[in-house]
Amino acid sequence: MLFPTLSFGLFFLAVFSVVWAASSSNEWRKILLLLASWTFYGAWDWRFVALLIGSALLNWGAAAMIWRLRDDSDARRRAILIAGVAANLLILGFFKYYGFFVEQLGEILRSAGYARDLPLMQVVLPVGISFFTFQGMSYLADVHAGRLAPARLLDVTLLMSFFPHLVAGPIVRGADLLPQFAETPRLTRDMASMGLILILWGLFKKAVVASELSTGLVDPVFFDPAAHSQIDLIAAAYGYAVQIYCDFSAYSDMAVGIAALLGYRFPINFNQPYRAVSLQDFWRRWHISLSSWLRDYLYIGALGGNRKGFARQCINVLATMLLGGLWHGAKWTFVVWGGLHGGVLVLERIWDRIRPIWLPRLPRLLAVLVTFHVVLVGWIFFRAESFAAAVAFLKGIGTPGMASDVLTPLACLLILFGMTIHFMPARLGQRLALRIRLLPAPALGLLAGVVVLIADAMRFEGVAPFIYYQF
Amino acid sequence: MSHHMPSPIDLDAPEMEADGLGWTFGVMLVAALFLLFANAGSLRDWIDDQPPGPVQAQAAALADQWVEVTEAMGIGLPRQALRNQWKRAEGARFDGAAENSGTGEGPG
Repeated sequence: MLFPTLSFGLFFLAVFSVVWAASSSNEWRKILLLLASWTFYGAWDWRFVALLIGSALLNWGAAAMIWRLRDDSDARRRAILIAGVAANLLILGFFKYYGFFVEQLGEILRSAGYARDLPLMQVVLPVGISFFTFQGMSYLADVHAGRLAPARLLDVTLLMSFFPHLVAGPIVRGADLLPQFAETPRLTRDMASMGLILILWGLFKKAVVASELSTGLVDPVFFDPAAHSQIDLIAAAYGYAVQIYCDFSAYSDMAVGIAALLGYRFPINFNQPYRAVSLQDFWRRWHISLSSWLRDYLYIGALGGNRKGFARQCINVLATMLLGGLWHGAKWTFVVWGGLHGGVLVLERIWDRIRPIWLPRLPRLLAVLVTFHVVLVGWIFFRAESFAAAVAFLKGIGTPGMASDVLTPLACLLILFGMTIHFMPARLGQRLALRIRLLPAPALGLLAGVVVLIADAMRFEGVAPFIYYQF
Repeated sequence: MSHHMPSPIDLDAPEMEADGLGWTFGVMLVAALFLLFANAGSLRDWIDDQPPGPVQAQAAALADQWVEVTEAMGIGLPRQALRNQWKRAEGARFDGAAENSGTGEGPG
């Protein structure tokens, strides 16, 4: 069930009505939300609802044990934490990386002269598994560190299953959501206004901009880079940068908006990333819930951050980004993408240390352009089917040729639009919300209906799944 | 480690006291009714895509009748005009040779 579809719209109208009608009891409210979330997830594959429940039970049980031993030795609590995290990683590893590692092992054995039939099998990837396992691990780590008291089974299960963030984030931590589950929420006009704006804005970005660029420009060029000219390849690279932003940020916007209409506050996940002046700045603006998760639990929590000297800090940055790349999927292109980001982040840190004081920093516009183009090269690896295809794509960009098969004035306009929105005032949506919250309901209802009608008239036929569903 | 990440739903002004739930319900109801009239074709397409069965067949027949009613009233015309314009923009090429008008599509 995809957000920008009539099926989801009707599902949400029913959930909204029933959940608010049952809000005299917070417990019933949460039970209804849980049932709705399982129905939402079960629309993909009912079997994986059991996995979701099992994962919640695992994290609830491990956290409860850690808490019960809080006066005991740290070694026992730490052992439970490690076992819990390992169990989460095992689930993630089996579904997401089993095939990849068996394949790589087979390659290594073959090259060493040991041809063996390895137990290859087709493992179906449960939608959103990377998101809910990361949520579970951070819940365990927070309880272990004493940042969070363990929650009841109902709350932990809802934390991991809550349908607005279930399949593609943002990764909402227990510390952000569990306290909200403790009380019956109230829907204010402020939340509702901003929620509606985010849902409509997300619908437009996904259904109109991302879908059009994907189908008309990006997919055909990335499918066969060798068959396209330099100008098409360059346009497709820019097109993908806009597509992935409009696709992923649309999902986040809609998730935040839907949660707001149900009375919950989700954290920000995107903040005009292509106006970043460095890669470090980019990661403070792009997929913020993942980058802050990696920073807090992996870079600082597990690897030690910058506590063990500068050289170790650089290694930690690189390792974090490589693992961040691998989090997206079991493909070498994701590892290269992570490695590129990690490498440039390390170079930025080194340059900060060795830059002579008399040497001025890059002018802001130049810094934005350089950062954006580093990100752009990374996206080519991220989108390409294989490492060889990414290299062929880059080689094609270096081969002169102006004839274009797929570039249209509309695609150029959409790319320009996707870039322009990064340089609009940062809190434009919030300013608009302050105005529309004063409107009478019928007027805003008509306005919202007109926006949906416009997006529907401009949308490409059908709705492609969000890019981040595969992660 | 901050537990209070900023959220896009935080507004830079004092919270409004007025009722939010009834207001939101009203907004969604009016938007849904507006779309039922102005975008009847989408509802028909959605019903047509559902698994076949007696209920689906009955709903599809009703949806067809509803589309005819809204078409007779001309309510779907603005959406269709915008759709045609968009299809024209999709078909436009830089050299102007491969212009595709994109007409001939039914409402929805």
